[in-house]
Amino acid sequence: MNDSEFCEHLEIEVTVLHVWVEQRWLVPRRAGSGWIFEEDDIARARLIQDLTGPMGVNSDGVDVAMQLLDQIHGLRGRLHALMTAIRSQDPDVQRLILSRVDDE
Amino acid sequence: MPSSPYETLGVSRDATQKDIQSAYRKLAKKLHPDLNPGDKGAEERFKAVSAAYALLSDEEKRGKFDRGEIDETGAETAPRNFYRDYAGAGGTAGRYESAHGFQDFGDKDDIFSSFFSRRGRGQQSMRGQDSHFSMEIDLLEAVNGAKKQISLPGGGPALDLTIPPGTRDGQTLRLRGKGEPGHNGAAAGDALIDIRVRPHPLFQVDGEDVRYDIPISLSEAVLGGKIRVPTMDGAVNVTIPPHSNTGKVLRLKGKGMRKPGGGHGDAYVTLKITLAPHADPSLAAFVEGWAAGKAEDPRKNLGGNA
Repeated sequence: MNDSEFCEHLEIEVTVLHVWVEQRWLVPRRAGSGWIFEEDDIARARLIQDLTGPMGVNSDGVDVAMQLLDQIHGLRGRLHALMTAIRSQDPDVQRLILSRVDDE
Repeated sequence: MPSSPYETLGVSRDATQKDIQSAYRKLAKKLHPDLNPGDKGAEERFKAVSAAYALLSDEEKRGKFDRGEIDETGAETAPRNFYRDYAGAGGTAGRYESAHGFQDFGDKDDIFSSFFSRRGRGQQSMRGQDSHFSMEIDLLEAVNGAKKQISLPGGGPALDLTIPPGTRDGQTLRLRGKGEPGHNGAAAGDALIDIRVRPHPLFQVDGEDVRYDIPISLSEAVLGGKIRVPTMDGAVNVTIPPHSNTGKVLRLKGKGMRKPGGGHGDAYVTLKITLAPHADPSLAAFVEGWAAGKAEDPRKNLGGNA
């Protein structure tokens, strides 16, 4: 969906959307001169709304939260890849790695 | 599972709207699925809390519930997808995921070094690793400075290394940008060179000072005179007084090591009387007829049973 459909869907003003994009809380894909919003952007926007609305987080707080969240998802992604790689190893190797992790 | 929205939020039946809002905020911050991406149960609990809040924060619905006109599910929430269901699914990688919070996982020099810094908008440029080398140099090169070449173990062009005057044993010299190349156009690391200073056969370093022995001839010892004495930065003329014995120490001010705070330590030169390599009959004849020399006992104060 485009800018105005997105704003209508979420019941927000276009100026609010521009602030979110400016803050990089949302990074929509470019399409010609405008933006295109997809399901993941909507879900992310709902999170921003939860934070700023009922949860009472101010805009600096949202900034911190989104940055940490993006780091967590980056980390989860790499951790997931690491787990997949470990799972593809010999059972003996897997056990060896696990025993070392518990030693730490 | 608590049946009443009051229990779900942990507030009493006569709680004010403010109480209800603050209770919800506390729970939501703890339970929001997007703030608990790995906790499957968080979604159920968050939904229950949100439903309870939706009901109780609406005075009209809260009244209906209190009067028993609707049950606790009276507030139907629209099905909703959370952001966590998309994060990491590929579509968000270039835009939202960030790697720059955990590059430290990969900063050791092993096979995992690039694993944690690969993906996402956080594909930050990373400065190259420092390379470590060691080099042995002579004491005089360390004291006076020198230009050396260091060849790298992996081949490649040799590096020019300037040893600054006053370099000490154990000091590390840095060649900026001569380490491993950086990632994504970032600066290269530095080459760090550990300097070992070889011991010198003559000059013995003692902190800021330097100590060494200087041989003198018998006639220099008896008559005194000017002699040339080597120092770390070239020979100097030194006057030795008549009747200078072995073991006499001369201090050459400022001829020691360069001090870190400026200035130099001193050189302490110990004189050692040395006979000529070949015997001289005239000297032997003189000493033979030298009564006072024969009467002298240099060991008289040694003690023990001489």
